[in-house]
Amino acid sequence: MSATSEGVKAATPPESRPVEAAPAPQIDAQALRRRFAGLLSVAGGLLLWELISRLLIDNALFLAAPSQIALAIYNLTITGQLGHHVAVSALEFVVGYVIGSALGVPLGLAMASSDTVKNACQPWVSGFYATPTVALAPLFILWFGIGIWSKVLVIVTLVLFPVTINTEAGLRTTSERLIEMLRSFGATPWQIFFKVKLPSAVPFILVGLKLGIGRALIGVVVAEFFGSRAGLGRLISQASDAFNMPELFAGVVVLAIAGIVMTAGFTWLEARLVPWTKD
Amino acid sequence: MTSKLAIARLSKSFGELEALRGISLDVERGEFISVVGPSGCGKTTFLRIVAGLEHATAGDVLLDGRAVKEPGRDRGFVFQNDSLLPWRTVFANAIIGREVAGPIGSDDRKRTMELLKLVGLEGFEHYHPRQLSGGMRQRVNLARALAIDPDILLMDEPFAALDAQTREIMQTELLRIWERGHKTVLFVTHQIDEAVFLSDRVLVFARRPGRVQAEVTIPLPRPRTLDMKRTPQFVALVDRIWRMIEDDVRAAALYENA
Repeated sequence: MSATSEGVKAATPPESRPVEAAPAPQIDAQALRRRFAGLLSVAGGLLLWELISRLLIDNALFLAAPSQIALAIYNLTITGQLGHHVAVSALEFVVGYVIGSALGVPLGLAMASSDTVKNACQPWVSGFYATPTVALAPLFILWFGIGIWSKVLVIVTLVLFPVTINTEAGLRTTSERLIEMLRSFGATPWQIFFKVKLPSAVPFILVGLKLGIGRALIGVVVAEFFGSRAGLGRLISQASDAFNMPELFAGVVVLAIAGIVMTAGFTWLEARLVPWTKD
Repeated sequence: MTSKLAIARLSKSFGELEALRGISLDVERGEFISVVGPSGCGKTTFLRIVAGLEHATAGDVLLDGRAVKEPGRDRGFVFQNDSLLPWRTVFANAIIGREVAGPIGSDDRKRTMELLKLVGLEGFEHYHPRQLSGGMRQRVNLARALAIDPDILLMDEPFAALDAQTREIMQTELLRIWERGHKTVLFVTHQIDEAVFLSDRVLVFARRPGRVQAEVTIPLPRPRTLDMKRTPQFVALVDRIWRMIEDDVRAAALYENA
């Protein structure tokens, strides 16, 4: 909307506003073409993969064709094995992710509110964020055994720090103009925190939580590689030991789908919770 | 009778830089006062001190005889940029000043709705700022300041970011609202014609340090209409103020380009 027709706009009833108008059909056609290009690309890629693994490589020890992977997923599903592996990994993921986020957000808030806390925590947070803490998985397994808690700890160390860093950045980048506006009404520091700082940090916190998803998935798989009784990482490493490529890829595909679905869910959540960041 | 707003020998320094020197001003209840001057003359700093957002180095600001030390609900500030919260609707933005003061009652809601109607935003209560034009956002900005029912409105170049046509419409709207409520207004602008059109008195600031160079009473009758801007009397007033600050404006322009 241009500001030029301000007077006219103010006189027009809201129902006929351009902002309420549905997107033009032309844009729909463009979106359709773009979506179609994506589908075509995926379908073409799968076909190429199928052809290469059947005609060029044709060695079941090195590569599995998409059709074989789909069959493996089907077989693992009906025997109940896949469900069990997914359930174990999902539990580790959820517990680790929730603990990591539940610690990361308050730690970020504390670091943004106090320079002393920030200076005390910054070297640790930056250090751990840069460290591939999955490398500590063998140590955690020594400490906590091959059950769920060694995996949870790996995931927590992977999720905590991006969430902390983004929460802190979000709070510190709150617009001074908005803070000043609230201050002009005599707002207390607490009111400024809850009415301006926290809401304007939400987009950043969501970015941190989104980053955490990918890192947590890596944590689940790698921690299970090092020692576990079940889980998708366990499935993959067992299949690898047995040169069972279809089952190996089955585990990878399930992980990929989980990652895509959760990231898409977050994008949807962002559009709902923080629509103002989209313009 | 004491003045609504009494400012005496107000000075402000930022370290070495002397921003304001010895500003004195008495404003009567219901008066519309504008402050004009070149960039860097401290007019915004002056307004921010009256708002309580900055502290004076020396001098007093008395509102109804009480010293101003911090922001308060007796003053409504209208910002140059709209400073609307993007996650709040128009209504929720307009009521935020009331919200800061304590729990909101149905009276507050009713009053805020009436104010949105007054500024021409009826039907837009549930819109978000990103769905509004610049002029409409400034209307919310104004409604938000009015919603706390302040004794005095402090306006910091509120129409500076708007295009010329929208600005003229907003000026007449502001006068219409002012004539209904008869709030005291302190209005900062760099547009001389805007100051003349709106005000009872225009305070002309000089720069380095910021100080009052002249005070011009505007004898134009009210209610004012846009066609008055073309009368010889109006043009003469604008011209007179322009000549006062011309040298300063040129100096400021040179300084800023250097």
